[in-house]
Amino acid sequence: MQTPDFKGTHLWDRLCWAKENLDGVQSDYRVVYEDSIDECAKILVPDPNWMACALQGGILPPVWVYHELAKDEASEGFKKHTRGYLLHETQPIEAMTEEEAIEYLIMKDVPQSVWQEWDSGNKPKMVICRKDQLPQTREWRNAWRISDELAA
Amino acid sequence: MAGKIIADTLEHSTAGSLTTDYVVNGSAKSWVNFNGTGTIATRDSLNVASLTDIGTGNHEINFSSAMSDVNYSRSTHMQRENTTASYANIDGSYNNDTYSTTTLEVRTVYMNAAASGAVDSPIVSNQIFGDLA
Repeated sequence: MQTPDFKGTHLWDRLCWAKENLDGVQSDYRVVYEDSIDECAKILVPDPNWMACALQGGILPPVWVYHELAKDEASEGFKKHTRGYLLHETQPIEAMTEEEAIEYLIMKDVPQSVWQEWDSGNKPKMVICRKDQLPQTREWRNAWRISDELAA
Repeated sequence: MAGKIIADTLEHSTAGSLTTDYVVNGSAKSWVNFNGTGTIATRDSLNVASLTDIGTGNHEINFSSAMSDVNYSRSTHMQRENTTASYANIDGSYNNDTYSTTTLEVRTVYMNAAASGAVDSPIVSNQIFGDLA
Protein backbone atom coordinates (compact mmCIF):
# COMPACT_ATOMS: atom_id res chain seq x y z
CA MET A 1 0.00 0.00 0.00
CA GLN A 2 1.25 3.45 -0.92
CA THR A 3 1.74 5.87 1.98
CA PRO A 4 -0.12 9.17 1.39
CA ASP A 5 1.94 12.36 1.21
CA PHE A 6 2.02 13.11 4.93
CA LYS A 7 4.34 16.12 5.03
CA GLY A 8 2.62 18.69 7.26
CA THR A 9 0.11 16.13 8.61
CA HIS A 10 0.03 15.78 12.40
CA LEU A 11 2.08 12.77 13.46
CA TRP A 12 -0.84 11.40 15.49
CA ASP A 13 -3.03 11.42 12.36
CA ARG A 14 -0.32 9.54 10.49
CA LEU A 15 -0.19 6.93 13.28
CA CYS A 16 -3.98 6.58 13.10
CA TRP A 17 -3.73 6.02 9.34
CA ALA A 18 -1.10 3.34 9.94
CA LYS A 19 -3.23 1.68 12.60
CA GLU A 20 -6.11 1.45 10.14
CA ASN A 21 -4.12 0.31 7.14
CA LEU A 22 -1.02 -1.61 8.23
CA ASP A 23 -0.66 -4.94 10.01
CA GLY A 24 1.55 -4.90 13.10
CA VAL A 25 5.01 -6.44 12.82
CA GLN A 26 6.27 -8.30 15.90
CA SER A 27 10.04 -7.96 15.83
CA ASP A 28 12.25 -10.65 17.33
CA TYR A 29 14.92 -8.07 18.17
CA ARG A 30 15.41 -6.88 21.73
CA VAL A 31 17.85 -4.26 23.01
CA VAL A 32 19.38 -4.97 26.41
CA TYR A 33 21.15 -2.08 28.11
CA GLU A 34 22.50 -0.95 31.45
CA ASP A 35 22.34 2.75 32.27
CA SER A 36 23.19 2.50 35.95
CA ILE A 37 25.57 0.20 37.81
CA ASP A 38 23.06 0.08 40.65
CA GLU A 39 20.18 -1.19 38.54
CA CYS A 40 19.43 -4.35 36.60
CA ALA A 41 19.59 -4.57 32.82
CA LYS A 42 16.69 -2.98 30.95
CA ILE A 43 15.12 -4.49 27.85
CA LEU A 44 13.71 -2.36 25.05
CA VAL A 45 10.89 -4.02 23.08
CA PRO A 46 9.74 -2.51 19.75
CA ASP A 47 6.02 -1.87 19.39
CA PRO A 48 4.49 -3.87 16.49
CA ASN A 49 2.48 -0.93 15.13
CA TRP A 50 5.50 1.34 15.32
CA MET A 51 7.62 -1.28 13.52
CA ALA A 52 5.00 -1.43 10.76
CA CYS A 53 5.32 2.37 10.36
CA ALA A 54 9.09 2.13 10.20
CA LEU A 55 9.06 -0.58 7.53
CA GLN A 56 6.35 1.23 5.53
CA GLY A 57 8.15 4.59 5.34
CA GLY A 58 6.75 8.09 4.98
CA ILE A 59 5.18 8.14 8.46
CA LEU A 60 7.78 8.63 11.20
CA PRO A 61 9.79 11.85 11.65
CA PRO A 62 13.61 11.74 11.63
CA VAL A 63 15.05 10.81 15.01
CA TRP A 64 16.80 14.15 15.45
CA VAL A 65 13.37 15.70 15.98
CA TYR A 66 13.01 13.75 19.23
CA HIS A 67 16.47 14.87 20.33
CA GLU A 68 15.51 18.51 19.76
CA LEU A 69 12.34 18.08 21.82
CA ALA A 70 14.31 16.30 24.56
CA LYS A 71 16.71 19.27 24.66
CA ASP A 72 13.76 21.63 25.08
CA GLU A 73 12.28 19.48 27.82
CA ALA A 74 15.60 19.33 29.69
CA SER A 75 16.00 23.09 29.65
CA GLU A 76 15.38 25.05 32.84
CA GLY A 77 11.86 26.31 33.26
CA PHE A 78 10.33 23.98 30.67
CA LYS A 79 6.57 23.99 30.92
CA LYS A 80 5.25 23.07 27.50
CA HIS A 81 6.62 22.14 24.07
CA THR A 82 6.67 25.07 21.67
CA ARG A 83 8.40 23.20 18.84
CA GLY A 84 5.98 20.29 18.50
CA TYR A 85 5.62 21.31 14.86
CA LEU A 86 8.96 19.58 14.24
CA LEU A 87 7.18 16.25 14.67
CA HIS A 88 4.52 17.14 12.13
CA GLU A 89 6.14 19.41 9.57
CA THR A 90 9.52 17.75 9.11
CA GLN A 91 9.67 15.52 6.05
CA PRO A 92 8.91 11.94 7.21
CA ILE A 93 11.71 9.44 6.70
CA GLU A 94 11.74 6.75 4.05
CA ALA A 95 11.17 3.04 4.69
CA MET A 96 13.74 1.38 6.91
CA THR A 97 14.89 -2.22 7.20
CA GLU A 98 14.11 -3.92 10.50
CA GLU A 99 17.75 -3.49 11.56
CA GLU A 100 17.72 0.22 10.68
CA ALA A 101 14.47 0.59 12.61
CA ILE A 102 16.09 -0.92 15.71
CA GLU A 103 18.99 1.55 15.40
CA TYR A 104 16.47 4.40 15.10
CA LEU A 105 14.59 3.12 18.16
CA ILE A 106 17.81 2.89 20.17
CA MET A 107 18.57 6.53 19.38
CA LYS A 108 14.99 7.51 20.26
CA ASP A 109 14.23 5.50 23.40
CA VAL A 110 17.55 4.45 24.95
CA PRO A 111 19.40 7.12 26.98
CA GLN A 112 22.06 8.89 24.89
CA SER A 113 24.64 8.19 27.60
CA VAL A 114 24.23 4.50 26.78
CA TRP A 115 24.14 4.37 22.98
CA GLN A 116 26.80 7.04 22.41
CA GLU A 117 29.38 5.15 24.50
CA TRP A 118 27.97 1.66 24.55
CA ASP A 119 31.35 -0.06 24.15
CA SER A 120 33.76 2.28 25.91
CA GLY A 121 33.97 0.55 29.31
CA ASN A 122 35.12 -2.82 30.59
CA LYS A 123 32.16 -4.52 28.97
CA PRO A 124 29.38 -3.45 26.58
CA LYS A 125 26.56 -1.42 28.10
CA MET A 126 24.19 -2.41 25.33
CA VAL A 127 23.50 -5.55 23.31
CA ILE A 128 21.06 -6.20 20.47
CA CYS A 129 19.82 -9.76 20.59
CA ARG A 130 16.98 -12.03 19.55
CA LYS A 131 14.04 -12.61 21.87
CA ASP A 132 14.92 -16.29 22.27
CA GLN A 133 18.41 -15.36 23.53
CA LEU A 134 16.91 -13.86 26.68
CA PRO A 135 16.17 -16.04 29.72
CA GLN A 136 12.78 -17.69 29.27
CA THR A 137 11.75 -17.20 32.88
CA ARG A 138 11.81 -13.99 34.87
CA GLU A 139 13.42 -15.59 37.90
CA TRP A 140 15.60 -13.05 39.74
CA ARG A 141 14.65 -10.47 37.09
CA ASN A 142 15.81 -7.58 39.28
CA ALA A 143 19.34 -8.97 39.24
CA TRP A 144 19.72 -9.47 35.49
CA ARG A 145 22.93 -8.02 34.02
CA ILE A 146 24.59 -8.17 30.63
CA SER A 147 26.88 -11.20 30.69
CA ASP A 148 30.56 -10.51 31.31
CA GLU A 149 31.33 -13.07 28.60
CA LEU A 150 30.24 -10.52 26.00
CA ALA A 151 33.32 -8.47 26.79
CA ALA A 152 35.55 -11.20 25.39
CA MET B 1 -5.15 14.38 4.31
CA ALA B 2 -8.13 13.36 2.13
CA GLY B 3 -11.58 13.15 3.72
CA LYS B 4 -11.11 16.06 6.15
CA ILE B 5 -14.24 17.41 7.86
CA ILE B 6 -14.01 20.74 9.64
CA ALA B 7 -16.78 21.17 12.21
CA ASP B 8 -17.23 22.76 15.61
CA THR B 9 -20.44 20.92 16.50
CA LEU B 10 -21.89 17.46 15.97
CA GLU B 11 -25.69 17.34 16.11
CA HIS B 12 -27.84 14.23 16.58
CA SER B 13 -31.38 14.19 15.20
CA THR B 14 -32.93 13.67 18.64
CA ALA B 15 -30.24 13.37 21.29
CA GLY B 16 -28.86 16.91 21.12
CA SER B 17 -25.52 18.31 20.05
CA LEU B 18 -21.91 18.09 21.09
CA THR B 19 -19.01 20.40 20.32
CA THR B 20 -16.05 18.69 18.70
CA ASP B 21 -13.91 19.96 21.60
CA TYR B 22 -15.29 16.99 23.52
CA VAL B 23 -13.98 14.63 20.86
CA VAL B 24 -10.57 16.27 20.56
CA ASN B 25 -9.97 16.69 24.29
CA GLY B 26 -11.75 13.54 25.38
CA SER B 27 -9.98 11.03 23.13
CA ALA B 28 -7.15 8.90 24.45
CA LYS B 29 -3.90 10.08 22.86
CA SER B 30 -2.10 6.84 23.60
CA TRP B 31 -3.13 3.37 24.69
CA VAL B 32 -1.46 0.01 24.99
CA ASN B 33 -2.23 -3.54 26.10
CA PHE B 34 0.79 -5.71 26.81
CA ASN B 35 1.93 -8.91 28.43
CA GLY B 36 4.23 -7.96 31.30
CA THR B 37 5.41 -11.49 32.01
CA GLY B 38 8.26 -13.43 30.39
CA THR B 39 9.85 -11.37 27.64
CA ILE B 40 7.24 -8.63 27.59
CA ALA B 41 5.30 -8.01 24.38
CA THR B 42 2.69 -5.57 23.12
CA ARG B 43 -0.65 -7.02 22.03
CA ASP B 44 -2.02 -3.82 20.56
CA SER B 45 -1.48 -0.09 20.90
CA LEU B 46 -1.76 3.40 19.46
CA ASN B 47 0.97 6.03 19.61
CA VAL B 48 3.50 3.74 21.30
CA ALA B 49 7.01 3.29 19.87
CA SER B 50 8.36 0.80 22.37
CA LEU B 51 8.16 -0.64 25.86
CA THR B 52 11.08 -0.93 28.25
CA ASP B 53 11.19 -3.77 30.75
CA ILE B 54 12.93 -2.20 33.74
CA GLY B 55 12.44 -4.98 36.25
CA THR B 56 9.77 -6.91 38.08
CA GLY B 57 6.47 -5.02 37.79
CA ASN B 58 8.23 -2.00 36.31
CA HIS B 59 7.87 -0.85 32.71
CA GLU B 60 8.32 2.27 30.60
CA ILE B 61 5.98 3.23 27.77
CA ASN B 62 7.67 5.30 25.06
CA PHE B 63 5.37 7.41 22.89
CA SER B 64 5.72 8.16 19.17
CA SER B 65 3.88 11.49 19.16
CA ALA B 66 4.97 13.50 22.21
CA MET B 67 2.57 15.04 24.69
CA SER B 68 2.72 18.83 24.93
CA ASP B 69 3.55 18.84 28.67
CA VAL B 70 3.71 16.47 31.61
CA ASN B 71 0.28 17.40 32.97
CA TYR B 72 -1.43 14.59 31.12
CA SER B 73 -3.62 12.03 32.82
CA ARG B 74 -2.88 8.32 32.95
CA SER B 75 -4.83 5.27 33.96
CA THR B 76 -3.58 1.71 34.16
CA HIS B 77 -5.07 -1.69 34.80
CA MET B 78 -3.25 -4.89 35.62
CA GLN B 79 -4.41 -8.47 36.03
CA ARG B 80 -2.80 -10.71 38.64
CA GLU B 81 -1.39 -13.94 37.20
CA ASN B 82 -1.83 -16.49 39.97
CA THR B 83 -4.92 -17.54 41.88
CA THR B 84 -3.98 -16.03 45.22
CA ALA B 85 -6.67 -13.58 46.21
CA SER B 86 -5.51 -9.98 45.88
CA TYR B 87 -7.39 -7.15 47.45
CA ALA B 88 -5.84 -4.53 45.21
CA ASN B 89 -3.78 -4.34 42.06
CA ILE B 90 -2.22 -0.93 41.74
CA ASP B 91 -0.34 1.22 39.23
CA GLY B 92 1.77 3.67 41.16
CA SER B 93 5.01 5.57 40.80
CA TYR B 94 7.82 7.09 42.85
CA ASN B 95 8.95 10.71 42.73
CA ASN B 96 12.00 9.87 40.63
CA ASP B 97 10.19 7.65 38.13
CA THR B 98 10.24 8.78 34.52
CA TYR B 99 7.30 11.03 33.71
CA SER B 100 8.18 12.99 30.58
CA THR B 101 6.38 14.06 27.41
CA THR B 102 7.68 10.99 25.58
CA THR B 103 8.11 8.34 28.30
CA LEU B 104 5.99 7.16 31.19
CA GLU B 105 7.07 4.67 33.85
CA VAL B 106 4.38 2.26 35.04
CA ARG B 107 4.61 0.00 38.08
CA THR B 108 2.30 -2.92 38.75
CA VAL B 109 1.91 -3.78 42.40
CA TYR B 110 -0.35 -6.16 44.33
CA MET B 111 -1.55 -5.92 47.88
CA ASN B 112 -3.52 -8.32 50.06
CA ALA B 113 -3.87 -9.11 53.74
CA ALA B 114 -0.71 -11.20 53.82
CA ALA B 115 1.73 -9.43 51.54
CA SER B 116 2.37 -6.77 48.96
CA GLY B 117 4.97 -6.06 46.32
CA ALA B 118 5.85 -5.55 42.67
CA VAL B 119 4.52 -8.22 40.35
CA ASP B 120 4.57 -8.97 36.64
CA SER B 121 1.14 -9.05 35.12
CA PRO B 122 -0.04 -10.99 32.04
CA ILE B 123 -2.35 -8.14 31.09
CA VAL B 124 -1.32 -4.52 31.60
CA SER B 125 -3.30 -1.79 29.88
CA ASN B 126 -2.65 1.93 29.99
CA GLN B 127 -4.37 4.99 28.54
CA ILE B 128 -3.17 8.59 28.30
CA PHE B 129 -5.41 11.64 28.04
CA GLY B 130 -4.15 15.17 27.48
CA ASP B 131 -2.77 17.46 24.80
CA LEU B 132 -0.33 16.38 22.11
CA ALA B 133 2.70 18.52 21.23
